[in-house]
Amino acid sequence: MPKEQQPKPLPAVDDLTRPFWEAAARHQLVIQRCQECEYFNHPPRPVCDACQSQRLTFVPVSGRGRVYTFTVMHQPNIAGFEQDIPYLNLLIELEEQPRLFMVSYLPISAKANIQIGCAVEVYFEPVDAEITLPQFRPV
Amino acid sequence: MWTGKGKTAIVGIGYSELTRHSQKPLGLLAIDACRAALSDAGLQSEQVDGLATYPELPALGAGSRDGEDIVSVLYMINHLPLAPDIRWYAQIEAGMIASPVIESVHALIAGACNSVLVWRALHQPRGRYGAWSNTRAAGESQFMAPYGCTSIFQWHAMQWQRYMHTYGATREHLATFVVNSRRNANLNPRAFFSTTPMSHEDYLASRWIAEPLCLFDCDIPVEGCVALVLTTTERARDLRHPPAYVAGYGQNTSRRRTLFHYALDDYMACGASLAQKLWSSSGLGPHDMDAAELYDGFSPSTLYWLEAAGFCQRGEAYAFIQDGRITLEGELPVNTFGGSLSEGRLHGMGHIAEAVFQVTGRAEQRQIPGAAAVCAIDGSPMLRGSGLVLTKEA
Repeated sequence: MPKEQQPKPLPAVDDLTRPFWEAAARHQLVIQRCQECEYFNHPPRPVCDACQSQRLTFVPVSGRGRVYTFTVMHQPNIAGFEQDIPYLNLLIELEEQPRLFMVSYLPISAKANIQIGCAVEVYFEPVDAEITLPQFRPV
Repeated sequence: MWTGKGKTAIVGIGYSELTRHSQKPLGLLAIDACRAALSDAGLQSEQVDGLATYPELPALGAGSRDGEDIVSVLYMINHLPLAPDIRWYAQIEAGMIASPVIESVHALIAGACNSVLVWRALHQPRGRYGAWSNTRAAGESQFMAPYGCTSIFQWHAMQWQRYMHTYGATREHLATFVVNSRRNANLNPRAFFSTTPMSHEDYLASRWIAEPLCLFDCDIPVEGCVALVLTTTERARDLRHPPAYVAGYGQNTSRRRTLFHYALDDYMACGASLAQKLWSSSGLGPHDMDAAELYDGFSPSTLYWLEAAGFCQRGEAYAFIQDGRITLEGELPVNTFGGSLSEGRLHGMGHIAEAVFQVTGRAEQRQIPGAAAVCAIDGSPMLRGSGLVLTKEA
């Protein structure tokens, strides 16, 4: 019998990140943006990474991007993912800004369709009443 | 050029045993290393009036018991018969392992103390290295853990994938470096893998950790401690071995140091922020180095350092390391002791120790003839890093 797997880790939503996760639960992708210089910050930050302004808000983004890079994870290192290995992690560069990165997960069955530079779009994976994970897959 | 150049020196080195899991508590391993370093220098512990360490925990989920998981300055004060009046100490967790050495240099030049003991003790907790077991992910990890992407090697793997794609590097190219490191470790009796050879084929056959990185691209976690003794150049001349003079140093001072900025551009910007200070303080450059000891927690990091520190152009390191150029007999010997990959994960202390051995003519079978200047850089170019240039002459 395989050992029972603990659930996958979930975000500990905090004041800084709540707007992101609340939007995701509505199946909308929002990213923190600076109201002074319009720079996008992800993960959300208390001050803008480009101009250090504290005037930050969340705005909807297209949900489109490209695979900047990826890896196939083989180590059962993360509780909840032991039975998923091997699996893909993608680093997505959103189209709104160079090096505006998000992490995503795909099962290994998707590997043939994943290359650096390939176009992806967001989809939403509901987990529980509070949490829905934005994920990306090839267009 | 830095006014402190050549005013201080490393005069003693000590290693504890290096094993996967020691029967001894970490505190006693640290005492072993410190006593060995003092004996190497020809100093009594009562002559030490300065202490510095980098006590950071070695892995996610490790405890923080002093003398078990970490070894603090206070632990050493309580467990070694030091000078009755400790005049200076520092416990530093910014930068990397050269950072407490750099602060010791400052203290010696300022006249705050006469002799400093610096150590780095690494605990290797039982269980899988760097495992994640929390059910809730706080801070930035809330955008990584729910996707199964919390391990530092996954981020290294993703950037190496990007590097391969951008510049045309392959696993075969990286194999040259990893196998060369093992060959050097086979000449280093302290190395964890001192008696275990590795062929090109062994490397290519090793299991994946996170593609495109395999097991042998990851350093070997060990339990143990390395200690160094520093003093002023004036005092150094009367001691047992020739001194390794501190010619210059640099620390990573770049911004944008979070996992989410782990892109190659950021690696290079961070690495360059360190290297620029390393070369300007010492008045030396990459072409003056007789060997380079470059951090290799994951094998691609050494290639990034070769580029960021100016040993070759950006995107060229994978080609630069071929054709014997980085072997002990080559134009630029790299990680002459085997690196963290093959000596053991000592967070860069092994790199500093080897630079000392090389410039003082004490590297035995690994000695680069006439080595006069060697750099040791620790940290992967992102997040952290610190480095030293050590020279044979003051």
